[in-house]
Parts: sequence; structure tokens; C-alpha cells
Amino acid sequence: MHRVVITGMGCISALGHGAEACWQAMREGRSGIGPIAAIPTELLNVRVAAEVKDYDPLAHFDEKRLVLLDRFTQFALIAAREAVAQSGLPRAGGLGEDSAAIIGTGVGGQTTVDDSYRRLYGERVARVHPFTVPRMMANAAASHVSMEFGITGPAFAVSSACASANHAIGLAFDMVRRGQMRAAIAGGSEACITVGSLKGWEALRVLATDTCRPFCRDRRGMVLGEGAGIFVLETLETARARGAPILAELAGFGMSADAADLVLPSEAGAARAIAGALKDAGLAPERIDYINAHGTGTAANDVTETRALRRVFGDHAGRLAVSSTKAVHGHALGAAGAIELVAAVRAITDGVVPPTANFTAPDPDCDLDYVPNEARERTVGAALSNSFAFGGLNAVLALRRVE
Amino acid sequence: MISVQDQVYDIIAKEASIERARIAPGSTLKDLEISSLDAVQIIFAIEERFEIYMPYNNPSFDVDTVGGLVDTVERLLREKRTA
Repeated sequence: MHRVVITGMGCISALGHGAEACWQAMREGRSGIGPIAAIPTELLNVRVAAEVKDYDPLAHFDEKRLVLLDRFTQFALIAAREAVAQSGLPRAGGLGEDSAAIIGTGVGGQTTVDDSYRRLYGERVARVHPFTVPRMMANAAASHVSMEFGITGPAFAVSSACASANHAIGLAFDMVRRGQMRAAIAGGSEACITVGSLKGWEALRVLATDTCRPFCRDRRGMVLGEGAGIFVLETLETARARGAPILAELAGFGMSADAADLVLPSEAGAARAIAGALKDAGLAPERIDYINAHGTGTAANDVTETRALRRVFGDHAGRLAVSSTKAVHGHALGAAGAIELVAAVRAITDGVVPPTANFTAPDPDCDLDYVPNEARERTVGAALSNSFAFGGLNAVLALRRVE
Repeated sequence: MISVQDQVYDIIAKEASIERARIAPGSTLKDLEISSLDAVQIIFAIEERFEIYMPYNNPSFDVDTVGGLVDTVERLLREKRTA
């Protein structure tokens, strides 16, 4: 088994363009949540989201290529370019057949679906764009990443709703760890802020109408976000041999299924994924300093996640720094775990734990240290990043500092 | 004309597959062992039937008990008539 390290990361979200901008906002607790601006809101009851701002697709893609790219694929490509550039992987001739592209997404090309259905059913135009299918398919992002970087090994999408990114990164991690792949580009992407998608979320009654306040007594629910996070994974040996930047070691991966309720989270299921990640990484619970929580801000998640952490960590739970950065970048569904891995990586490299922003007063049933509102200096030797999805699918990544 | 209460009771009984006789104004959805998925279907069915938007996360409406749901529907219907 090889040790696997992250040598590059890219991110685009409501917090900014680029992993550095996103991290700075997370660290400062500066929220990217605001009134929805990019789509018409007259049919919506919930009118806040965490949208990617100041975004001009033509600054990144020429017109001819853009007609093939749904917004979620654009985000994935932008984040992948940043990650590969940071890693310094030589792109000439392509990354080749011993590299993989595995990109998680909850749904895929929702903007394309929404636009074509509005045309068809709303405007009664009996013709949709000929690239509707290749734009909307869930694997479009993985395919375009493979084409742009000449990745001719395994490339596919992974879909497990809000855990998609962590499942994708976990699978890629395993391929590199086993020596099957020399390098993998992995992460998640989602562009879910469409009228149709928002109406669906509204009807489930889990969206907040103000903002996202994870673990607080007055939390009202989640706020939808969008964006992408992409990482370059390599073995420690190859990374060292080529002098690549080593951001953190991806040390373990735990997954589980609740096999219970489709939407209500399960303490036991979450706990099994958390414990699984620790075991896989060979990390004793006491070694963990920071947890980037799933922390959606819904009534059910935050209490269940707190109990799951108490169950796994016992006495050490009180010494953990636990924060949810969804308070600032919203819930980006299939991209969530990837955007949040940026927080976990930077907590390790910078020795700073990002806060849970918008924090008012704690829910008495949420009794951990959620790092309210202010970032904290703390040496982070190891961290976990949690994702727990609708459908009862859980995926947890473990990171360790490389000395 | 069927009362709002009767219509709401019918919806709850149908969507959650429970005996209508078990439903009382003071029952909470939890008392009736209604799952969260059934609960959102009940709200959806009420909205469709009365053509209203049921508020949530709004402390000025009680939607935890069946009686509260009925009151909320009646209040929203009154507001709709006077709007």
C-alpha cells in the first residue's frame, strides 16, 4: 500500500474563485449567502442561496466549447485547472492511462435540464438544443476533465447526493493507494440553483429563508450552494520524487449506508463511517484535532451528527474543534465534501481552524466545541471531513499532516 | 360543505395510512407516528387542496399539532379571501 498525498487543489464557490479566496472567506467567517441574483425568483418562496458570483464563463471557455458545457462542468474544469497547475503535474502529452478522473455530482447538468424543460413545457417550443443530452449527463464533468488533461485511465461520475464528492475522492484515493493509478484528479461539482431544483428543495421543507446557522438553537435549515472542489492525488513517493507541493496526506476513508430512512439521518450510520475512516487511516480517535462537520443547519442533521461524534470519540469529543463551513458556502450537495476538504487541508497546512459562522446560541442538544464565529489557531495533526447524504449514504475522509 | 378540519383529517389519514379515528386536534404528527416523508406529503396535499402556501420555520404558526394545522389552513384561507 502506498501513502497518498494531495499535491494540488482547486475550488470555486460562493466564497470566491480559487481555493485561496475560498479559504480566506471560510477563515474569516465571511458569508457567501445572499439574495438569489442569477435566476428569476418570482416563483420562489426561498430567495436566498450561496451563488458563485462575478462569474463570466467566457473568461474561461471560448464560445464554441461553452455550448457543450453545463454550469456544473464549467465549475469542475475551472477547479481542475487550478488543482493541476498547483500540483505541477506535467501536462504535455496528457496525464495518460495511469491517471484517473473521478468527479462526484448529486444530479449533473441541472441548468441544462431546467432550461430545456422551460422551453418545451413553458414556452411550447417543440425543439431543444441538440447538446442537451451531452450537457446534462452526470458524467459530463468527469468526461471533460479527462479530455482536457489527457486522462486515459478510469474516468466516471460518482453520485450519492450530498456525499458524492467524498465518495469520489475516496474511490480515487483507493486506486492510488493500491498502486493502480499514479495520479488521480478527484472531487465534486454541482450547479443546483435553478428554479426547478429550488422548488423541489422548498417542498421538502428543509431550506432556511434567512441564512445557515449550523448547530444553533435558532437554526432554520440549510441554504443551497454551488461550485466545485477538485484535488490532485498522488503517491507520497512520486510527489517527493518530482518535488511537488505536499499539502496533506489523505490517510483514510470510511463509508456506510443507514439502510433505514430515505431522508432522516442515522446516528449509527454516521458513526460507522466516522469510525471506519479512523480505522482505515490507522488513527486513534485522540489523534484527531479538527472535524469539518456535515453541519447542514437542519433540525435533524446537527443533533444526529453531534451524537455520532460523541459515540465515536467518547471523552475526546469535548476536545475536538468541530465546525461547519456550510454557514458561509451553503450546501453545495455533490460538491460539498470537496469544497469542505479545502477547509480541512488548510486547517492542517495553516494551523488555523475555520469557524462556524452566523453562530448565535447553541442548541442544548448540540454540545460540542463548534468554534463559533472566530477562527482559532490550533495545530492540526489530523482531521476528518464528514458527508452524510439523503438516501442514508455516508462518506468520511481522514487527513493527516505530512512532516 | 365539508369543513376544513374534516378535509385535513382526510388528508392525514390517507397520506399517512392511519385510522381517521386516531386523529384528534391535540395529536402531534409524532404522536400519530407519522414519518417525515409522510409529513411533507401531507403538507403538499394540503397546499394542493386549498391552493395555499403553508409556512414553515415560522414561529407565529403552529404546525406541530393537527389542530394547529387546521387553524393555520383556516387563517391562510381567511387571508386569501381578504387579500
